[in-house]
Amino acid sequence: MTTQSITIAEHRFGYGFYRQVWWNWLIGTAFFCGGLGAGLFLISLGTDYRLGMVLGYLIVVVGKNTAHLLYLGRPERFWRAALRPDRSWIARGIWACGLFAVSGAILLAPMILGAAWQVPGEIADAAKVVAIGSGLVIMFYDGFVMNQSAAIPFWNTQLLPLLVLMYATLGGVTLTITLGALQNYESRETAWLEKVEPYLLIANFLLLCLYLLRMWRWTPAARETVRMWVKGRYARVFFGLIVAVGLIATLTLSLVQQQWQVRGLSLVIAGCELTGDFSLLMLMLKSGLFAPQTAPAFEPRGNGR
Amino acid sequence: MARLGMVIDLKRCIGCNACTLACKQENGTPEGVHYARVITREVGTYPKTKRTFLPVLCNHCDDAPCAQACPSGATWIRSDGLVLVDREKCIGCRACSVACPYMNRHFIEKGLLQHGYGTDGLSPYEAVKFLEFEEGTNTKCTMCAHRVDQGLEPACVVTCPTDARIFGDLEPDDGKLQKLIRERKGWTLLPECNTKPSVFYLDE
Repeated sequence: MTTQSITIAEHRFGYGFYRQVWWNWLIGTAFFCGGLGAGLFLISLGTDYRLGMVLGYLIVVVGKNTAHLLYLGRPERFWRAALRPDRSWIARGIWACGLFAVSGAILLAPMILGAAWQVPGEIADAAKVVAIGSGLVIMFYDGFVMNQSAAIPFWNTQLLPLLVLMYATLGGVTLTITLGALQNYESRETAWLEKVEPYLLIANFLLLCLYLLRMWRWTPAARETVRMWVKGRYARVFFGLIVAVGLIATLTLSLVQQQWQVRGLSLVIAGCELTGDFSLLMLMLKSGLFAPQTAPAFEPRGNGR
Repeated sequence: MARLGMVIDLKRCIGCNACTLACKQENGTPEGVHYARVITREVGTYPKTKRTFLPVLCNHCDDAPCAQACPSGATWIRSDGLVLVDREKCIGCRACSVACPYMNRHFIEKGLLQHGYGTDGLSPYEAVKFLEFEEGTNTKCTMCAHRVDQGLEPACVVTCPTDARIFGDLEPDDGKLQKLIRERKGWTLLPECNTKPSVFYLDE
């Protein structure tokens, strides 16, 4: 069987690859907010940048959770999603979001509401550990949610959690630098982040290439998705938004920014990077294909059977 | 312990879609929801072409990926191997739809139960049958568990005019189904997904 002999089925009674139609832009937005918010929170925690922590926390707790609730068919039963952490990555993600919301609130309350909300040192330390752990899980668990599905070969690889973790880190670094530049917040750590960002962009680009190469050699359905990205209907989004805007423009502008410190350019850099990040997640969801339901009688044999 | 399953003889299937219609009638599924369907493909090169048919339904897998992906425990496996959905536990996350390699999970979109196949709202039949569904939740083939519990066979099995479908217990090695599978080299769909389906196909 060759990829060329199989087309995308228009409906479920037809033969061919089937499109993934259930997880839509709301899930993409939720994953995007989760990775970006948790990345921003953790990077800002590392650089002791309070505005970044608050914003990252809000992106996760408000943005991600709202998108998830809007997506659910029965949002009033959302709590049931936490019942099977032993086998479902969605359930583990819910737990991570819950722990992040509580521990993050403990850490941020004294910063926002004043010293009266300060908790004892041991509790604050424990909250910090929990926030870091749950934040990390939020950064990569959507990769596991997707790769748990063996039905969609393009997602079914251990490279996916790594890819979403790398993009979440990149998003967190970029937004921390941008917010810091807008607020004239300077520290040794943010200066270090500016130096690290180009290397992160190159690493993400290489990882993306490795991902596509791996998928090209995987199954016909995964190969068809790669074909759609590189030569087919999604080539403009892939090359235009993900590669050109999200990686090349971000890299070029960040190098320019390092050299000349152009005022306001950091906002453009963040816009480019976040566009690439969001486009990648949306394309991942939109281009997921199910393998055809193959029967020996379906195999082309010249004159049928 | 029983493991209910089905064997479908593709040599006998004529692609009439009687199973599709019988399932629709028995379960009263809303528009666009087909628990049973027949995938059709033309093979060969003109003038030597042929239409081939593959009747599909939920495979009631032993290692059901939909049950593993379900975060709320709404999808569960009965002791006789039937994979069922408790709609009151379903949160409508559609993780099962994404996890099922056979595309046999169906989401009841909001508003889908407000109209039937006719133009004037719901027919009396649909008004009764649609009570078994809930908008915003997932549904799937039950292998007619309500009939099986009464000692009857699934609607698609009894309707098939060519007796292409054989329903029974897959567990005993000397049983009718296992014998057919052994003798005629039965196979399952997408074995690479390691789901251990309970629906087997014969074409030898």
